[in-house]
Amino acid sequence: MRPGLLAQSLVLGILTGGMYALMAAGLTLIFGVMRVINIAHAAMIVMGAYLSLTLFLHLGVDPLLSMLLLIPLFFGLGALVQWGIVNRLAERDITLTVLMTFGFAIILEGLQGAIWTSSYQGIKTAYSLESFQLFTLYVPVVRLIAAAVSLFLLAGLYALLTFTMLGRAIRATIQNRTSAQLVGVNVRLVTTISFAIGIAVAGATGPLLGMLFTFYPATHWLWIGKLLAIVVLGGLGSLRGAFVAAMLLGIAEQVTSVTIALDWAPMIFYVFLFGVLVVRPQGLFGVVERQSL
Amino acid sequence: MRIDQRLRRRWPWAALALFAVVPLAMPEGFYLDLLMFTFMYAAMAVGWDIMGGYAGYVSLGHVGFFGLGSYAAALLLVHLGLPVFMTAPLVGLMASLLGAGLGFISLRTRGPAFVIVTLTFTYVAQLLMLDLKSVTGGSQGIFLPLLDLPANLVIVPFYYAMLALLVIAILVSIAIRRSKFGLGLIAIREDEGKAEASGVNTSLYKILAFAISVWFAGTAGALHAQYLNYVDPDLAFELIITLNLIIMSLFGSRGIVWGPVLGAFVIYPLSAYLIFLLPSRLAGQLHLVALGVVLVLVVMFLPDGVLRTYMAWRKKGPKDYGSVEAQASMAEAPG
Repeated sequence: MRPGLLAQSLVLGILTGGMYALMAAGLTLIFGVMRVINIAHAAMIVMGAYLSLTLFLHLGVDPLLSMLLLIPLFFGLGALVQWGIVNRLAERDITLTVLMTFGFAIILEGLQGAIWTSSYQGIKTAYSLESFQLFTLYVPVVRLIAAAVSLFLLAGLYALLTFTMLGRAIRATIQNRTSAQLVGVNVRLVTTISFAIGIAVAGATGPLLGMLFTFYPATHWLWIGKLLAIVVLGGLGSLRGAFVAAMLLGIAEQVTSVTIALDWAPMIFYVFLFGVLVVRPQGLFGVVERQSL
Repeated sequence: MRIDQRLRRRWPWAALALFAVVPLAMPEGFYLDLLMFTFMYAAMAVGWDIMGGYAGYVSLGHVGFFGLGSYAAALLLVHLGLPVFMTAPLVGLMASLLGAGLGFISLRTRGPAFVIVTLTFTYVAQLLMLDLKSVTGGSQGIFLPLLDLPANLVIVPFYYAMLALLVIAILVSIAIRRSKFGLGLIAIREDEGKAEASGVNTSLYKILAFAISVWFAGTAGALHAQYLNYVDPDLAFELIITLNLIIMSLFGSRGIVWGPVLGAFVIYPLSAYLIFLLPSRLAGQLHLVALGVVLVLVVMFLPDGVLRTYMAWRKKGPKDYGSVEAQASMAEAPG
């Protein structure tokens, strides 16, 4: 493999990895506070992509601007669904809650197909095909934008979790729900807010996905597979882990597609997923799950 | 009460006898096809329930085994000339071996690994069949030679094969339910820590249960490939199959032998009828929405399923179908 090609796939991998990190952040946050894998997460991201596409085609709203609308919209919907439906169930039975998110994923896929048909879509803005040379490297502008926006939002999420009272409450709930409640955290409210933040982040990723990749209603199954690989590799519930794993897998994917074949690139996610479960089930940054919950 | 019990023991045999003569009365047509698919789904749902109902570990990947079963049977037929009706049980065994391997990866610990591994396994299987073009023909798929039968009778052997698969599934489920193994699985569902502490080899039990559970999916997949005379990555790995199994088991009642059977006999015909009713342009999409809504509604309002809810309402079912509390106390007995 030529060194130039390797450097090129590193650049593309890091840029794509930034977006993967944002996608996975919401999923791992929701798992952290609720111990529930939101199987509908990728379907929600794709929903964001469709809404952004519609806004772009009919009202000419730039996909990046549509994020400003999607974030509060998805936050509100997430809070409503969590408070109204998911919360009631999650306190009774986690397995059933996972099945419920599976149902949500199916419903969203069906609705998207009914509204926007099953054909391939993509958000093609004026700057979609632009790129520039950096030394010998080729840098697509949309990927750079997506990575920058993702890093910006991730930094915001990190600041929220680290420096605010709410963030402390969320982290306490992730670490130990019962103890958090004992020291006066309203864990139910914190769970709802965290879930809503996770969904809002998913909604924000939608336009980025739509600009970088083609999508159709069933694509969310491919994405949830990738995202699960990322959050498991990083350690379920760990934001830092999700970030590192997203970068690692973003790069690994690009390297595979140039060294082996484009067809086999998605497989690299599952190789890592299954490998890490055999070798280190708690992932890179995860903590060993306590046996009694 | 006594008549009730006697009925309970005899009606399955009566139903079996009835189903056995149906093809003689009407050897072709819509209803035979409907019944055959109902048997197929019922058998797979009973299999799913051995893991999802008894042990309480929900698999989202049964269609992966179904699809690989389709491919294995197709390849054995095309390359070695082995008829599918002969290889189907062996293909099921391959699925079981694979299931044991996946179980080894995901079932040694508790927590969400099993859900993640079973869900992603479906994509791995599909991706492999798509990418191993020299073996599987990629997205072109594989055509299977037709059975040497008149076109209007071709469904009959499949009808009996699926009926036989369902009978095997029910017998296996009953045998497990009455064994120490089954009791161990229920103990795992109720409290895995206590089950382990009381001497149940939980990892082994779970892996074994999953291997048995996926045998039915693999075998059904093999038969299904020959029924369609064709297999491709999209047809073989439709997630809607897994979704159907879950809805059927939950709706009928998880962890009860007849629950998934009842679920399949209610859900499959309704689901087929719904596709028929919906406008053809949107049928596939709205069907998905409907199934998703049914799953969410069942999870929210009928999590115990029809049978268990009915038993609880009657409050005098036989011991075997006792409440969760009774089963839990039974589960703690061996040790």
